Amino acid sequence: MKKKMISGMLLLALLLTLAVGCAAEVMKGPSVTLESIPEYSGAAYVAVNDNEPYFTQEEIIDEAFETYSDLDALGRCGVTCASVGPELMPTEERGDIGSVKPTGWHTVKYDCVDGKYLYNRCHLIGYQLTGENANERNLITGTRYLNIEGMLPFENMVADYVEETENHVMYRVTPIYDGDNLVAGGVLMEGYSVEDEGAGICFCVYAYNVQPGVEIDYATGESWLAGEGSTSGSESDEVTYILNTSSKKFHDPSCSGAEDIKESNKEVFTGSREELIAQGYTPCGRCKP
Amino acid sequence: MIAIVCLDDKNGMSFNHRRQSRDVCLRTWMMEMTRGSRLWMSDYSAGQFSEKEREGIWVSNSFLEKAGEGDYVFVEDDALAPYERKVEKLVVFRWNRVYPGDRYFDLDLTGGQWHKAETRDFPGKSHKRITMEVYTR
Repeated sequence: MKKKMISGMLLLALLLTLAVGCAAEVMKGPSVTLESIPEYSGAAYVAVNDNEPYFTQEEIIDEAFETYSDLDALGRCGVTCASVGPELMPTEERGDIGSVKPTGWHTVKYDCVDGKYLYNRCHLIGYQLTGENANERNLITGTRYLNIEGMLPFENMVADYVEETENHVMYRVTPIYDGDNLVAGGVLMEGYSVEDEGAGICFCVYAYNVQPGVEIDYATGESWLAGEGSTSGSESDEVTYILNTSSKKFHDPSCSGAEDIKESNKEVFTGSREELIAQGYTPCGRCKP
Repeated sequence: MIAIVCLDDKNGMSFNHRRQSRDVCLRTWMMEMTRGSRLWMSDYSAGQFSEKEREGIWVSNSFLEKAGEGDYVFVEDDALAPYERKVEKLVVFRWNRVYPGDRYFDLDLTGGQWHKAETRDFPGKSHKRITMEVYTR
């Protein structure tokens, strides 16, 4: 009996080691460098490796999972990977992500940007795929262009495929930084449908973290209008507010109304007033923040 | 021939030789619409239909050459422009989404040669709203 228990434990340990090993492999991500990517030339994404993802056979798994790298020493996001299936897809509306401030974040507006704000808190694995809200290991400083033109089309394609077929899609997004830059130059996106062996979904692309008409210092996230040569965007004032996520009111931190908020409904937000209003919040009538 | 295509908001058809999207409700709609006529498509396109549905489909990888007057052709990953003279009518299904694309619809619907004769919306399984547009010469 004791012998059986020991061999059972050994088997479990072996399986755990294999599982951790597989997860560790998949989280290394492909070794693609910015030098191997062509300069941005007007297309939001470009095929890499002939559109063949770098997953090994062992990494392709038909059971849903999601993994997010720990932040590095500079606080930057790393590789994210999931086997996206119907089990992971969200069933609720997206929540507030304004509490996360990814590396290189600036709240800055330009008239030439759709929606004005240059930067979005850009999900590496899109909300519609795994339902992750304010996960700091899944949000990078990304331009509006990266978010909407570069990444969203792939997220739409994968989400609709999974919803239609109930199959799984191996999905990995790797932000690629130049040295110690705080803002990624772009993201490598890989997708591969599992049950039909890539017949439905198969891509490997690099999406550029650029914004036409705006130049970016990727070391810091500072930006300026193309051709102007210095910081020229209108930097919105970054202020800390206390949010009531239930009543959707925002307060000055010194407001007595903020003290009365139930802990479960209270959130600290640092950013612009406009951003909060855009998210559906209204200012408290007492402290008028 | 009557050409059927599915397009995203940027007139994309496919990416990396894979269709941008699919929807079982659209396939049902298409089978109903083409009932009583020949429906041609490639082997790749036929793969998304059930075995029973495939019994009524004419499959050939040179279907655009083989289709005759009054026949329907379902085009997912082929250029249509070389066959434009053969096209009597066009049925465009719009996904009302943006997907990645590297093959785009190659007929100009705005140059005055084609006129939109009908527009209808219907719900899909994985698409909230699919729009069917019918163009005639």
